[in-house]
Amino acid sequence: MYLKIILFNILFFTLVGLQAQENKKSFKQSLSSSLVVETDVSIEFKSGGLQKTEWLLKPEFSYRLSKNSRFVFKGQMYTELNDHLEAAVPKQETVSKFSKRLFIGDRANLEVREFYFYTNFRKKLRLTIGKQQIVWGETDGLKLLDVVNPQNFREFILDDFEDSRIPLWSVKAEFDLKNIGVQFVWVPDNTYHITQDFEAPYFTKSLFQSPPEGMTIRFDKTIKPKRFIADSDVGLKLSTFTKGWDLSLNYLYYYDDLPVFYSHLELSETNAPLVAIRPKFERQHLIGGTFNTVLGSSTFRGEIAYILDQNFSSIDSNAPLGVETSNNFKSALGIDYIKGENVISFQVFSDIITEHISAYNRDTFETNTSLQLSREFMNDNLKAEVLWVHNANHGDGFVRPQLSYWMNTNTQLFLGSSIFYGNGNQLFGQFSDRSRISLGMRWGI
Amino acid sequence: MKNYLIMGLLAIGLLSPTSSKAQTLPTGKSIADKTYAKDEGISVRRKLTMELKDKRGKIRIRETTSIRKYFGEEKRMAIYYLTPKSVKGTAFLTFDYPDASLDDDQWLYMPALRKTRRISAANRGDYFLGTDLTYEEIKLETRISRDDYTYKTIGTERIDGQQCYVLEGTPINDKIAKELGYSKVKLWVDASIWMLRKADSWDVAGNHLKTTAIKEIKKVQGIWTYHLIAVKNHKTAHETLFRISDIDYQTSLNDDAFTKEALVNGL
Repeated sequence: MYLKIILFNILFFTLVGLQAQENKKSFKQSLSSSLVVETDVSIEFKSGGLQKTEWLLKPEFSYRLSKNSRFVFKGQMYTELNDHLEAAVPKQETVSKFSKRLFIGDRANLEVREFYFYTNFRKKLRLTIGKQQIVWGETDGLKLLDVVNPQNFREFILDDFEDSRIPLWSVKAEFDLKNIGVQFVWVPDNTYHITQDFEAPYFTKSLFQSPPEGMTIRFDKTIKPKRFIADSDVGLKLSTFTKGWDLSLNYLYYYDDLPVFYSHLELSETNAPLVAIRPKFERQHLIGGTFNTVLGSSTFRGEIAYILDQNFSSIDSNAPLGVETSNNFKSALGIDYIKGENVISFQVFSDIITEHISAYNRDTFETNTSLQLSREFMNDNLKAEVLWVHNANHGDGFVRPQLSYWMNTNTQLFLGSSIFYGNGNQLFGQFSDRSRISLGMRWGI
Repeated sequence: MKNYLIMGLLAIGLLSPTSSKAQTLPTGKSIADKTYAKDEGISVRRKLTMELKDKRGKIRIRETTSIRKYFGEEKRMAIYYLTPKSVKGTAFLTFDYPDASLDDDQWLYMPALRKTRRISAANRGDYFLGTDLTYEEIKLETRISRDDYTYKTIGTERIDGQQCYVLEGTPINDKIAKELGYSKVKLWVDASIWMLRKADSWDVAGNHLKTTAIKEIKKVQGIWTYHLIAVKNHKTAHETLFRISDIDYQTSLNDDAFTKEALVNGL
């Protein structure tokens, strides 16, 4: 393994060296920097208490080695004054040692969000090497193909994806074959979703089966991939623009970012029955694609993802280790209608389990919809928007109205609310008590 | 004999000085064609700073870098936001086709989502990113449309000391008027370098809507280039100043700088 890392470093620094020779600018001319400060205070409607008091400092540096290459560093200092969303110092068991956050006490942490070298090598091959975010797909709000990077569910899906997506150490190579763009991704970073503990406000209890009443549970250590090459994810995206259509084909061979919870009954040392749960990350294949085209004032877009051998927790008592496997077909169709300062965006998501299995807490065919309305006023100074996501099977969902206002060139204010509704056992309904009002500010220099 | 005939015609008023002037003024169509024929270079890279001032005097500044390249007659342009820092990386790409019956293709990259969103170009009368120019006007720069208006050349006037032809344009039909948001335009086109120097426009209800002044026209690398556009919206009292600097027509721009993938990687 160390030999591979050494070889990788030699290749990397040779590339950097070749590019650096072209740089004729001074250090000051080559360096650009910025700082964005964000704060967000949210109060829960039900308890009246603070759900979060968050401050984020996001410094960014870009050093240009030549016209075609640069280093980019994006750091983050995150502070949650209440220590509520991720209480104390989390164990970060699902995060690789290269991607862990550095906690300073219980309330703050430092993180290298991104640190990569980008080069357009001989204007033929575009390479991005380092910690980065790789984003696929066309949908908003819910993810189908946007699975290359895992996510921190500290705030379920309310956090901006830019903040909740976990950047990974990876290589992205892009080149063109005639009018087809080829993107190859290699992700050796064994980091997966960060889900929250049982006591956290956004613990997703709907994903976990409760054991029979009175039964003891024993959680065994999660079996997590560790090998640098053998356990890395690889992906390929082909994209083109032809006759007014944007098209892409995607393939990813990856570890599902959520572990499979294998369970079985056994006897404890006192001969009492207990449920032993052994979480393990499993590999799967994803094949998918996207399209979009414009007709008049509307953009039509779509996305499909076909996942082979997805594992589901089962309610069938005969299911081996409480898990059943099926292929999983996901699709989304959307339309964006723009007229003046008004935008209407509607999406329909479907999720189908193709085999006859008894998956826990979901139907074989699930449908979600989303509707987003927005309007800008006063030369884009003020924006009013609302997002409504609804699950048609279970009748749960959430609504997020928001106002944003540019106070001056660098300062933007936000006032919004997130309102969950529906059955407490369902994905969105489980957070009904977490509905909140938020006030925030973003400032950058 | 010929001179006597002319004197005779003048005497009876058949050859008045006014009609003589009308004959010497070029048609609107020919002026529009000349604005298109003006040398713009194959490619250009420049810094575009937009100052947006509302009626209370509050100013917001957006700094961008824009690149543009001709692919035959097809024009491709990309604009990358540099400031405000919180929206840095936002990028806009447009393919402008020579066939007027084809809508442009446009994409907007939003770094907060890390996604490139395809956007309709059918609403070319919509305002460009909160400024007082429309997408159509941004696309035309200092040219005047060849297809959307019926022009009448009404005379000549001096703007910034330069002789300009004055044209009145009315949209060729109600549909176009609605698309563009104008019922009438008055244009001042430089008679020697064939660049638009001033424009007035009236909304579809006939109210005076906007005045656009194109200033500081200087040669850069042998190409006549504007450095400042001032737009005032009389209806909202909002103003936008577009300042163009660091202009380089000799920049080498790869074809793949004008793809939606390139928007993600940035400049």
